[in-house]
Amino acid sequence: MSGLSWGLVHEQMTVQIRVRTLNVFSLALYVFQPAVFTAVGMLLSRAAGNATPDLVYSVIGGGIMGMWSGIVFTSTYDITGDRRNGMLELIVGSPTPLATVEGIRTLANVISGLFSIAVAFIAAMAIFGFSLSGVNVWGAVVSFLLLLFSLWCIGVFLANFLAWSRLSGTFVDYLEMPIAFLCGFMYPIRILPGWVQVISGFIPVRWALEAMNESLLGNTDLRFLVIHWLAAIGISLAFLFITRQLQDKVHDSIRVSGELSSI
Amino acid sequence: MDQFAIEAIHLNKTFHSRQGFFKRRLKSTLAVEDVSFTVERGELFGLLGPNGAGKTTTVKMLTTLLLPTAGTANVLGMDVVKQTAEVRRHIGFAFSGSRGLYNRLTAIQNLRYFAELYALDPEVSRKRIPELLERMGLGDRGDDRVETYSSGMVQRLHIARAMLHDPELLFLDEPTVGIDPVGSRELRQIIKDLISLGKTILLTTHYMAEAEELCGRIAIIKKGKIVALDSPDALKRRISGDSIIEASIKAHQAQALLDQLKSMDEKTSIEWRNSAEPEMLSIRTPEPARVIELLSPYLNSEHILGLEVRNQTLEDVYVSIIQGEEA
Repeated sequence: MSGLSWGLVHEQMTVQIRVRTLNVFSLALYVFQPAVFTAVGMLLSRAAGNATPDLVYSVIGGGIMGMWSGIVFTSTYDITGDRRNGMLELIVGSPTPLATVEGIRTLANVISGLFSIAVAFIAAMAIFGFSLSGVNVWGAVVSFLLLLFSLWCIGVFLANFLAWSRLSGTFVDYLEMPIAFLCGFMYPIRILPGWVQVISGFIPVRWALEAMNESLLGNTDLRFLVIHWLAAIGISLAFLFITRQLQDKVHDSIRVSGELSSI
Repeated sequence: MDQFAIEAIHLNKTFHSRQGFFKRRLKSTLAVEDVSFTVERGELFGLLGPNGAGKTTTVKMLTTLLLPTAGTANVLGMDVVKQTAEVRRHIGFAFSGSRGLYNRLTAIQNLRYFAELYALDPEVSRKRIPELLERMGLGDRGDDRVETYSSGMVQRLHIARAMLHDPELLFLDEPTVGIDPVGSRELRQIIKDLISLGKTILLTTHYMAEAEELCGRIAIIKKGKIVALDSPDALKRRISGDSIIEASIKAHQAQALLDQLKSMDEKTSIEWRNSAEPEMLSIRTPEPARVIELLSPYLNSEHILGLEVRNQTLEDVYVSIIQGEEA
């Protein structure tokens, strides 16, 4: 990312958190969304005849779901909001490439999304008695970091797509639930039909998340985990590569169409 | 060093959009057509025109925010299409209105953010931000959120933002729009100060008095084309040496006065505005003395309440050009 400096990272993250995260609506979203998803997950788990709630997929899965929704929502609003209030023009008109700004903003969004995960983990441990005993902690930690990385890569990809046109935001909103469905946020991926699993294999989040969930359930099969980690890294890098290839085209396209501004 | 700060050569911009739900039709809108002009270094150049004339589109092409459909433009000797990054480093621009700032942040936070976008050295930005705020009359409001600012303050903050990296060339797009007279006067003074600092400014406006007061040269743009380009004085001379006589008259007395002026030839034009009290007669004539002589029997409280004779203003020229009397 050209134009990257510590000062820019610091200032952009600060602005992003002040403007997008630290307001009642966003904070409520980060708590309310996982709470709703967790409640639905637990009801489904009970309806399936489970005596105890499935903490990994229902409670923590709810947190992941909240985090994902937060990232999609905030990333969409970043561009549409900036387009509406004239900031997008000013950012594009500055010497710092839009791609650099998008990269930092998406990182801030992923970090903000950690709030959902934290709430879900605290709820799982404090309310439902989830314990770390029996958990493959290192496997879970590595998988979690890769989950954040893959979410960042998808976020950067979406941000570039969102900048492309005023209509992109609508399409990205449509992607929120299908991606959650394909990645198995709240259930094991193996219960999905084979062809759906093939499609989900192209989404890096699916691999990191499956490795994390399995680690939380105590899976210590290193081969299984490494394959998942490598898949998550490889596909994430592929998304970054595609994004990089498209960035210049998007930069030119929005300056031809005049879609930097909403008026 | 290039002589011109801006050199626009046959610039064109066409926007394409698709219309219709089932049968998608491509609609093309020509926003700027064959626009050519130059701006010298240190000059304050005005781009005037009605809404939708193509002023902002022209500015956006010159500031690299839009790609021209045809033609070329050089800014400070750099091609706006081929040397985009370089151009962006050396120019500043401010658009009108409350857009373009984060309202939930303070002025200082906004400026600090843009200082990083322009890769300003932290030492420089620490010094320059308070200086600029002071110069813009916002020294004591730097820590207040932008959402608490008046329109005039927001506009001054826009200029401070555009000046952060000390650019040689500034584009100010309708900076005084929606601002009260006192705020406008302050802004005009700021713009004059910037010129005295050696900056080159391209200003778009549709306030004629502002353009007349500030600009060395003016281009009038109409339906995407430049239809006149000269100094304000030369533009005023260009249209004619006519005078304008504005008479405010009592209701129902206009006909008598119009009859009285019947003997004037076709070079004199009369406009009667009766939608408000008092009614107005606006007489454009090359023979003001004769008109006054004809009206003199009616210079009493029963007919003419007030009379003003003035030379044509830039606004008269502008209206004349935009309404197509001269193109």
